[in-house]
Amino acid sequence: MPAASLGDTIEVVIRPASLPAVMRTLREDADLRYEILSDICGVDTGLTMQVVYHLWSPLSSDWLRVIADGLSREDPRLPSITFLWSGAEWGEREAYDMFGIEFEGNRDLRRIYMPPDYLGFPLRKDFALADDASRGPGEGIRPMETPHRPAEVRTTGALRTSPGAGAVLGPGGEHLRVSPGAATAIAAESGEGET
Amino acid sequence: MRTEPTRIRSLDDPEVLVQTPATIYDAVPPLTPRTEREAEFYTLGDGEMFVNLGPQHPSTHGVLRVVLKIDGERIVDLDPVLGYLHRGVEKICEHGDWHHAISNCDPLEYAASMFSEALPVLAAEKLLGLEVPRRAEHIRVLVWELNRIASHALFIGWLALDLGGLTPILYGFTERDEIVEMLAALTGQKLLFNYMRIGGVNGDLNHEFLSRLGDWMGRAGKHIDGQATLMNENEIFVNRTKGLGVIDRETALRLAMSGPPLRASGVPYDVRRAHPYSVYPELEFDVPVRSEGDSYARYLLHIEEIKQSLRIIDQVLQRMPDGPVMAKLPRLLRVPPGRAYIALESPRGQYAAYAISDGTDQPFRFRIHDPSFFNLQAVGLLTPGHLVADIMAIMASLDPIMGGIDK
Repeated sequence: MPAASLGDTIEVVIRPASLPAVMRTLREDADLRYEILSDICGVDTGLTMQVVYHLWSPLSSDWLRVIADGLSREDPRLPSITFLWSGAEWGEREAYDMFGIEFEGNRDLRRIYMPPDYLGFPLRKDFALADDASRGPGEGIRPMETPHRPAEVRTTGALRTSPGAGAVLGPGGEHLRVSPGAATAIAAESGEGET
Repeated sequence: MRTEPTRIRSLDDPEVLVQTPATIYDAVPPLTPRTEREAEFYTLGDGEMFVNLGPQHPSTHGVLRVVLKIDGERIVDLDPVLGYLHRGVEKICEHGDWHHAISNCDPLEYAASMFSEALPVLAAEKLLGLEVPRRAEHIRVLVWELNRIASHALFIGWLALDLGGLTPILYGFTERDEIVEMLAALTGQKLLFNYMRIGGVNGDLNHEFLSRLGDWMGRAGKHIDGQATLMNENEIFVNRTKGLGVIDRETALRLAMSGPPLRASGVPYDVRRAHPYSVYPELEFDVPVRSEGDSYARYLLHIEEIKQSLRIIDQVLQRMPDGPVMAKLPRLLRVPPGRAYIALESPRGQYAAYAISDGTDQPFRFRIHDPSFFNLQAVGLLTPGHLVADIMAIMASLDPIMGGIDK
């Protein structure tokens, strides 16, 4: 686990799979007590996806930044931390809405800002705004998003044919299933792992 | 040979399916449920029904839509629907330079925009390692605390208004108007001030601002006490807010809340003390904390915070140093590459930003953390079991601002 200190923030970079164990230790260890979840956000570096958590503990005046790094841009997914902070639910919904990051174990992972039938993830780096052509000569106008036809989505699209209530729309439009209690299962699995 | 009798089809015919286009006001979404939670919510039990509240409703403090599942007059469950005010501020900030981000962040917290516009400023200053002139730091604290009082005065009025009392909001707006006029003399704007600048503030204190401020400071304490008496001794107000929407300490922490709702539950987390910025470490003030965690405690906490803000303003005015109000900076501001996390204590809680710079004049990623967004989540937990009329009192006591929630 490489840790780097930047200004008044301690930074920890971890693998996504070890996230539940790391967060549980940070929150519940008596010498750490990082009980305040200051922020949760997604980041698209252009090469990979990250989910960045900021924590605060009454025992330290520093922020702790935990970066779950190395999510693939095609299918970014990592365990949810709603079993520790139920308030992370909306934060994760926002990261899903804006970046398409799947949080396994979040039982309400649906879009929060954009309309339900919207396709595309606005804060990704490949989601170009219409005036991006002005940034470099010859770049041209790139499509803002996948063309979306609500009527088609409603009748024949993925949402209509999805089997069962647990289906959600993945970043490519394919079905993804969120099983109940996935977070706790994952946490138990990686419980004896590194911290 | 027998012919089928021609049937006249009417809307009363149960075989006729009337296809009406789905509108935003339909409580039940036209799509199949996307998650377990949505499926669970949109399944009605015995005797339950859906009621749509908002998005245009005065008690939702903006354009918040809430789908209520009710059983008689009791709320069984609710589903807040956000996004009616979504502008994509984070994306816009990535596409303008650092200076543009200031005015883009301005309308986030439109009741106290001195705080939201400080986000890109503090982030850029941290990345630049910039030292802001002392006078500018003092002016910032001064306008922040003034704006906090303006916002809290409005909160107290709104809370009473949502409970059906018309008078307090008139007093609240009187107080707010005086402060806003004063800030307009300083910044030229009444609502979206656009006053913070990377490296300082936009313009020194002027005579009109100071004379209005001195005038107001003489009677502010008395006004606050008067307003507090008006509410505290009102039996209806106290009975309707006491014991309503109780959050305990552990739940408040788990919900990632901040600001007055968190401190009313007994967690002394105030960014001004927890992770001091600007000149707050040099100032004397207390962080009011209460342990009841109900709507009434949240209201009392706001009154206490106004008094502490007046204390801070007093000290800042006495300590106000001379000097420039802007650091010397190049016209084209290239912020060095790096990551920075900054937070400040807004009237609603911890306003934070996580900025990544790639060395150009534009932020690579500018994440805005809004406290109302996380505080508003608590309504899903607080309101079930209460009456429909109480949802207003609970929501108003959490003090959400939709400009920040929807970004």
